[in-house]
Amino acid sequence: MKNRLKVLRAERNWTQSELADRLGVTRQTINAIEKNKYDPSLPLAFKLAGVFDMTIEAIFTPDEG
Amino acid sequence: MTNTSESSSLQQDLRRTTRLLFVCTAAWVATTAVAAFGPSSLWAYSVSESQVAILVNVVAGILMLFAFYKHLLSMDELQRKTHLEAMALSLGVTMIFTVAYVSFETANLLANARPSNILFVMGITYFGAVVVLWLKRTAE
Repeated sequence: MKNRLKVLRAERNWTQSELADRLGVTRQTINAIEKNKYDPSLPLAFKLAGVFDMTIEAIFTPDEG
Repeated sequence: MTNTSESSSLQQDLRRTTRLLFVCTAAWVATTAVAAFGPSSLWAYSVSESQVAILVNVVAGILMLFAFYKHLLSMDELQRKTHLEAMALSLGVTMIFTVAYVSFETANLLANARPSNILFVMGITYFGAVVVLWLKRTAE
């Protein structure tokens, strides 16, 4: 699954640590999501959508195929 | 400020459960040593004292298990996933190793098989898998 996390975070001038703080996860988790090495759980995806004030679909897009 | 408190709550929970796990693991190791060496060194193979030592060891083990479960729940989701995958890998490797180990002994190719070797393989596999999986996902 692809995501726009890095771009959205940069637009708000947040560091990975700041975003992790807002979500209650570790900075490594944010890094792994940004690098598409980890797909977040649905509750965390909803939290991300809430933090960015967007829908989940606006942040995450499924891999093609 | 809610967000910051959410993160610090995660860190506080992790610290608390890590401390609890450390204490319970230390208690289990200590009671294991007493149960293993007590009969020969402390109470001259008295049956009732050996039974009590083993019972205390089992209770300490169960407490350690609960402490580990709490520790697992206090992790963030990537940490938890990493540990659960490492446990699955460790279980599989241990099962294969145990069957091979027992086969070696049955075929008289191995003298003095020790159960502690199986625990050693399990521990090393678990630790190695946690490190490799974590680095694979979080390398910058």
